[in-house]
Amino acid sequence: MDAKTNNIILQVNNIYKAFGKNVVFKNASFSVVAGDIVGIIGPNGSGKSTLANIILGFDSEYQGEIVFNNDVRIAYVPQFSNSDKYMLPLSVYEFIRSTANAYYGLKDVMNKSVIIKVLQHVGLDKKYLEQNVYSLSGGERQRVFIARALLNNPNFILLDEPLASVDYMSRNELYSLLQHLNQTHNITIMIISHDIDSIVNVCDSIFYLDKASVKDCKPKDFLKGSKTTQALKYNCKI
Amino acid sequence: MEIFTFTFVQYAFLAGTSTAILTGLLGPMIVSSRQSVASDMFAHIALAGVGLAAVFNFLPLFGAFLVLLVSAVLLWWVVAEEKYATDALSMVFLSGGLAVALALIHIARNQAISFDTYLFGSILTVTQTELWLMAILTIVVLAVLTVFWYPLLSVVQSPAYRVPYSRRPQYIQLLFFILLALTVLVGLKTVGGLLIGALLVIPTLIARHFVQSFKTLTILSIVLGLIGMYAGLFIALFVDIPPSSAIILTLIAMFILSLPTKKILFYK
Repeated sequence: MDAKTNNIILQVNNIYKAFGKNVVFKNASFSVVAGDIVGIIGPNGSGKSTLANIILGFDSEYQGEIVFNNDVRIAYVPQFSNSDKYMLPLSVYEFIRSTANAYYGLKDVMNKSVIIKVLQHVGLDKKYLEQNVYSLSGGERQRVFIARALLNNPNFILLDEPLASVDYMSRNELYSLLQHLNQTHNITIMIISHDIDSIVNVCDSIFYLDKASVKDCKPKDFLKGSKTTQALKYNCKI
Repeated sequence: MEIFTFTFVQYAFLAGTSTAILTGLLGPMIVSSRQSVASDMFAHIALAGVGLAAVFNFLPLFGAFLVLLVSAVLLWWVVAEEKYATDALSMVFLSGGLAVALALIHIARNQAISFDTYLFGSILTVTQTELWLMAILTIVVLAVLTVFWYPLLSVVQSPAYRVPYSRRPQYIQLLFFILLALTVLVGLKTVGGLLIGALLVIPTLIARHFVQSFKTLTILSIVLGLIGMYAGLFIALFVDIPPSSAIILTLIAMFILSLPTKKILFYK
């Protein structure tokens, strides 16, 4: 189904979602303008990951509709927990190549040059190809994750908590990368985060999840706000 | 070394080679996807197939083959619903499979089939027909893995990579369950349903600290599995203990030895 407006890449219409008696979303609606960087924020348990699963088609048990623009090519960067020390070694090449096959199937002829190219897009060179992706630093690993998402030549990327296990110094570099991808490749970027301070400077618009609804806010509303979630509610001018 | 001229010993080494190659190939995927218990589940379910073969009087491994294929599809279908964790579901299937096996074993108690053979393995009694079946299964699994290697890597990562609005990874997941079921089938006669899990997991646990990629992890797992298999078989030929016991104990000894080796190599 087409989005009604040409420059709207995603419309979320009247979403109702509940886990038993716990209503996560009730008539939640919002739209995302193509080419924007959009933040989805909210406290723990507000439904950020649930919303991501609904948007990405991983969760189909909800009421309402998700409408993407016809020519959308979706990719996503899942949340990664650094606390998992039992990960088996997987080279960057294997990590990216395996996803390429998952996306394109066996008809796609992958070769190293394609993977080197997407790595270059995220500021990594070919020496990373043979390194274990799980022994990289948080910032490097997140770049590899983004490189993997770029394989699909997407125009919409959803990142779930991209700063989890990324050190403070690497955060700005990561956001510079996302802004670069947004501006040079015209990729709409949706960032899901519980940390408003980290994303307020890069987002064109922010959707705040609260009390089973989605509130459309402007980043400037948060700049003068308190860091606590409670205070954010009052500082958010709806 | 005259003992190696006996056909049953040659068959045992060939069957062991087949088992070690398959478990080495699938082991890293099992450990990576946190589905070690799934291998145990398939092993127990296979016993139901053996029981079925005993009741209806056909080749036990063929009975196990049919039951394993059906259960692989069933497990995949329930897992795809994403209502329950795979390990919890595996436990349900494991217990269910064993319950069915017990019932069938009871019904077929007058048959000549020894269930101990499939519980604990009996590599020295592998027949030529079983060897052919193992060889065919090994070739099939190798061929499928060669073609689907990278797609399989994407679904055995934990958490598995999911593609928006595509069911392709789910079909690859089904393929993974089928390959695992076939591997368990091959191991059923060699090391037995109760011990095949160790052969799948231990070589991977030893190898993981010494490599940087999944490919080298898999190669090293195969090599370690073969070493454990040959050494265990060799010991069993000269010491009076069951081969499957000797093979698994050898692998456990290798695992224990690898712990200080890892420390010496990385923290010296």
